[in-house]
Order: sequence, then structure tokens, then C-alpha cells
Amino acid sequence: MQSHGVDILLVEDNANDAELTLRALKQRNLANQVFVCHDGAEALDFFANGEGPVPKVVLLDLKLPKVDGLEVLRRLKQDNRTKTIPVVVLTSSREEPDIERAYALGANSYIVKPVDFEAFARAVSDVGLYWLLLNHPPQ
Amino acid sequence: MRSIQRKLPLFVTALLLAVAVVQLTVGYVEVRQASRKLADQRLPLATKVLADLFQIGQGRARITALAKNPAIVAFLRSGGRTGREAALVAMRQVTSDTATNAGLELRDFGGKLLLRTGRFTTADSVLVSPSTDSARYGPFMRHDTTLFLAVAVAVSAAPGAAEGSGGIVQQVARVAFNAQTPKALTGLAGGDISLFVGNASGDPWTDFGSLVPAPPQRVLTSRVPILYERGGEMKRAASAPVPGTPWMVVAEMPSRVVIAPARTYLFTMAPIAALIAIIGVLAAWWGSRRLTTPLVGVTRAAEAIASGDLEHRVPAGGDDELGRLARSFNTMADQVSRSHHHLETQVAQRTKALEGTNAELESFSYSVSHDLRAPLRAIHGFSRILLEDHNAKLEPEAQRLLGVIDQNTRRMGQLIDDLLAFSRLGRTDLSTGPVDMKELAQTVADEIQRTDNGRQGSLEIRIDPLPPARGDRGLLRQVMSNLLQNAAKFTRDHPSARIEVGSRADSGQTVYFVKDNGAGFDARYADKLFGVFQRLHSTEQFDGTGVGLAIVKRIVQRHGGRVWAEGAVNQGATFFFTLPGEER
Repeated sequence: MQSHGVDILLVEDNANDAELTLRALKQRNLANQVFVCHDGAEALDFFANGEGPVPKVVLLDLKLPKVDGLEVLRRLKQDNRTKTIPVVVLTSSREEPDIERAYALGANSYIVKPVDFEAFARAVSDVGLYWLLLNHPPQ
Repeated sequence: MRSIQRKLPLFVTALLLAVAVVQLTVGYVEVRQASRKLADQRLPLATKVLADLFQIGQGRARITALAKNPAIVAFLRSGGRTGREAALVAMRQVTSDTATNAGLELRDFGGKLLLRTGRFTTADSVLVSPSTDSARYGPFMRHDTTLFLAVAVAVSAAPGAAEGSGGIVQQVARVAFNAQTPKALTGLAGGDISLFVGNASGDPWTDFGSLVPAPPQRVLTSRVPILYERGGEMKRAASAPVPGTPWMVVAEMPSRVVIAPARTYLFTMAPIAALIAIIGVLAAWWGSRRLTTPLVGVTRAAEAIASGDLEHRVPAGGDDELGRLARSFNTMADQVSRSHHHLETQVAQRTKALEGTNAELESFSYSVSHDLRAPLRAIHGFSRILLEDHNAKLEPEAQRLLGVIDQNTRRMGQLIDDLLAFSRLGRTDLSTGPVDMKELAQTVADEIQRTDNGRQGSLEIRIDPLPPARGDRGLLRQVMSNLLQNAAKFTRDHPSARIEVGSRADSGQTVYFVKDNGAGFDARYADKLFGVFQRLHSTEQFDGTGVGLAIVKRIVQRHGGRVWAEGAVNQGATFFFTLPGEER
């Protein structure tokens, strides 16, 4: 657990995707305070004691080992302490049921990861910019 | 209501009534004709009997005898000059002993009155002028209410005597009326026959009780009995001449008496016929109830089963055909019920199996969607990073190779997306409704005109009026979009590209088509056009993954329609599809 603040919590099991995401964020200088969890259980642990840092946005993959992304989303949005944290689903799935369930559970955005790297990089950096710089969460 | 239970008794009633009416009518006519025939036989017989009665009248015999009296013969042969007293005596003998109070006259052949006795004088003229010695009757004569008749006989001149001697003995008698006589005559003739006598030439006529009007001439001249009206009543009458007299007799009876037996027949038979009809109707009603009640039971049961109550049964009947029908019906219902249960079980099993397969497919495509994209993204991403971050260290050939990797990963990504879209089509439910095809085509065409890049010549898209269809608007839009995009793509190199969207009616269905004047295709491979990843052109010629037409085919098929294509190389292509109409 980091002692200093966390801007972005990236929940991503695929190391390659994590690296590409971090690279895209880095190009916009948004990667300084990114914390990466590699499965759903880790992500839940991050918020477990309620005393850790509160990220400005959670980038959440859906297909995760141990606890899947939708379950993580459900727990976060159920917990009064974490329900105001914006959660952006960032996934390869374009399946309608996934999109519907994610929004039903309270996802703040749903981004399909483009295969095309330029498009992917643009999407990640745009998401980072929006939630870190433009968005005003409740204090 | 169209019910046999009501129709059968009605039918039997109608039948019985028809039979009764025909029977009564025929019977009535027959009886009437028979009665008339009988009357027509009796009437002439009665006239003959009456005429014969007159033949043997006493008046003729008496006057003939008188004409032979020597005193009278002598008086007449003398021309009335001698023997007057003797003749008078002879005449008085006759007039005093006849009940008819006859008047007697002696006249010469010129008609001059020579001598007269008795109370009645009628006229000066000779009433009867017989030319022979036999007695002759004259016509009836009327004086006020008294009826007379004259009978005369000639007394010829003595042999060798002068012409003009001799004369006529004539008796004038009153016809005695007696109120009882008509009845007596009727009794004699039998039944209701009335008898009349009178002059053949007309009045006066009598029924022997009083004077009566003469019957019309047509009665007197007819040789067969005929109808005529007397005193406001129709009569059937026959006439006959009385031989040796200027008289005729008429026998008649009221028409209503003639046809009375027919009426009697009608009044007797009608209630019997009515009774039979009522009994018949009741029997038919009872019979039809007995017949149709089990049928109604079977019908109700069939309706109940048709509406889903498979356990409904008919109460078992007797051993007749209806009972057998009920039992057969129940057996059939049992079988239907059994196979229904069997089918339901099977359907449930299959549905479960299908649901399993569907879930598997869903998770498969989910995995494909998720897991195939991630490595591709990595390949693409890292080859791009290599190009961006290490460009300086890479030889031009290495850079070119990385470019190839880049191109192919993009293409692979597109293939995955199309494949997923295609497989999703088989799983999503159709939300059907009326679709304005013309508006749909227009929207898609406008979009294509807006985004149509890289074209050399012009592009004209013509849209005919299209009948509305019934289907999933989103999916039909994709059909229209794929076909128009295809047409736009394959006309890209044409200097004046033309696309036409139209329709025609074909055996109750609407056939829509999209026609272009583009590259076309080899008609031999027309069936390959709609296969997944099937392409008739190389990627270099025209880009694309080969899924667009497969998607069109799947959508049209899910709507219950057909899709096919016609075309030739460089002659353009036409794609047809059918959809159910709006009214369904």
C-alpha cells in the first residue's frame, strides 16, 4: 500500500494491457500516482480497511482472476465509503449484457478497449484527463 | 343458430305440412269431382223421369175420348150449325166431373169459337191447332198468378165432306198449385233435387208450388248439366224437352250440396292431418334431441380440448353408433392427451438442452470477444511502441515489416468485431413492428452520400416508393446499410455510378432489391456471396471482411424472408430480399 496519494487505481490482470495503459497515461503525464491491482481480490483489499488513499478514478477490467470486475464494481458501489469513487469499466468486451450490468451496478463509464493502439492510447489518456482534471467529485 | 337440433324438427314439420296440404288438396279435388259426376248423372235422370210423367197425363186421354163423341163430331162437321144442344151436353159432362174445372171450347179450323163451357176463357185465338186426330198440348199460359195449359185434338171432316167442315176440341185447364208438390217431387227425385217445368221458349215456369222465373236459355239449350245462378245461389242444372209438347223440364240442385261431400271430407280430414303433423313434429323433436344430445356432448368436448382442456371427456353412451362415437372420441382424446404430455416433456427437454447450448455459445463468444482482442492489442501496441521508441535503431526493412504487422493486426481486429456482430445476430431477440422501408433506405442513402470518400465519378442513389415491412427496424436498417454500402463500394471506380432501391410484389410477398451498375460478379459464384468470410474480390481490389452479406442473409432469414443475387462481371449486381408485409 502506498503511503502517498493515489490518483488512478488500475485493475488489470493482463500485464501487457497494464503496460500499454501506463504508457498512454505517461505520455500525458498522468502516470505518477497510478496503483495497479492484478486481480479482483487485490482491488477489494485495496479498499478493505477504509483507511487507505481514495483514488480519483478506478479503471476496472471486467475479466479478472479470483473476483471478476462486475463483482468488484458491485462491492464498491454498495459500500458507502467507496460508492462515490468514479469507476470506469475498461474492457475488451463489447457484449451488450456486460454493458447493461455494469451500468446497472453504477459504473460511471464503459470504455471498450480498441485493438488499434493509437485509438487505445487516445481513449486511455482521454479518460485519465477527464476524470483527473475535469471531473469534480464530492469532497 | 345453425343447429341440427332445431333444424331437423323444422324440416320434418315442413315436410309433414307439405304432405298434409297435398293430401287434403288432392283428396278434396277428387271427392269434389266424384260428387259432381254423381250429380251430373242424377240430374238428367230426374228430368227424364219428370218428362215421362207428363207423357202419361190423363188430360190427353180425356180430350181424345171427347173428340170421338158423336154429338160433338156431328156439331163440328156441321160447321156449328146443327146439334148444338147435344154437343153442349157432352161437353158439360166433362167440365162437371173434372177437378181441374176445365173450360172446353169447340172451334172451327179457322179459329172461330163455336161453343164453350166451363169457367175459364183465355183468349179468342186458337191456342193449339192440331192437324191430326191425336191430342196436342199447347204452351203454358199465365194469367195473373194462375197458370193454364191447353190441350186440343182435331175432329176431321167426314169422308167426302166439303173442305172446312170439322173443327177443334180444346180444353183449357188451370194448373193446380200445391205447396206440397215441390217437396213431393224433390222426395221423388231424391236428395236436394228441385224440379221445374215450363215453356221451352221461356216464361211461364213453375215448380208446381208457385210460378218461378224461367231458367236462362243456356240451361235449356245445354245438353250437359251446367252451373247457373238462381235467387243468389249457384245451382247445377240439367234440362230435357218433354216429347210431344212445347215444354221443358229442368232438374237442379244447389252447387253447395253438390260439393258438400268434398267439404265434409276436408273438415273431417284436416284435423286428422293436423294431429298427425303434431305427432310427427313431436316425434322429430324427440328424435333429434336423442340424436343430437350426444353429438352436442362430443362437440363441447372437442371445443374444450381445442381450447386446451385436454382432460375433458364425453359421458359414455349406449351401444349404438352414438355410444361408439363417444367412446372413440374419448380414446382419441386420451391419445391426444398422452402425445401432448409426451411432446411437452420433449419440448421442455429440448428447450433445456438448447438453453445450455445457447449459454455455452454465449460464453464462447464472450471469451472470443475478450481473449482474442487482448493479445492483438498487445501485438499492435508493442509493434507501435517499437516503431515510435526505437525508430532510429531500425533498418527500413524492419520498419516495413512492423508496418505489415500493424496492418494485419488492425484487419484481425476488424474480423473479430464482424464475427462477433454476426454471431450476436443469432441470439438477440427480434423486436418487430411496422417499418417504413422507404424512409429507412433514404436515411441510409443520405449517410452513404455524406461519407462516400475516394470516388472518382458521380454517385446517384434513386429510391422508388417502397411498401412498408414488418420487422426489427434496427436489423433491417443494417440490411439496407450493408447492401447500399456494398453497392457504393463496388461502384467506386465507375465514372457515373447509379444505385437503385426498388420493390415488386411477388406471390403475396414484397421483394425489395438494391441494384447497382458496378463491378458485378461472376454469376457462377452467386451462392457463395452470402457465406461468412466468402469474398469474390481480393482485398486489394475492394476492402472488407466478407461478413456484410452473411449478416444480410441471417437477418432476412430471421424475418422469414429469402435473399439472392443476380449479376455479371462489370455489369452491375442486384441483391434481392423478401420480407413479410405490414398487414401480418
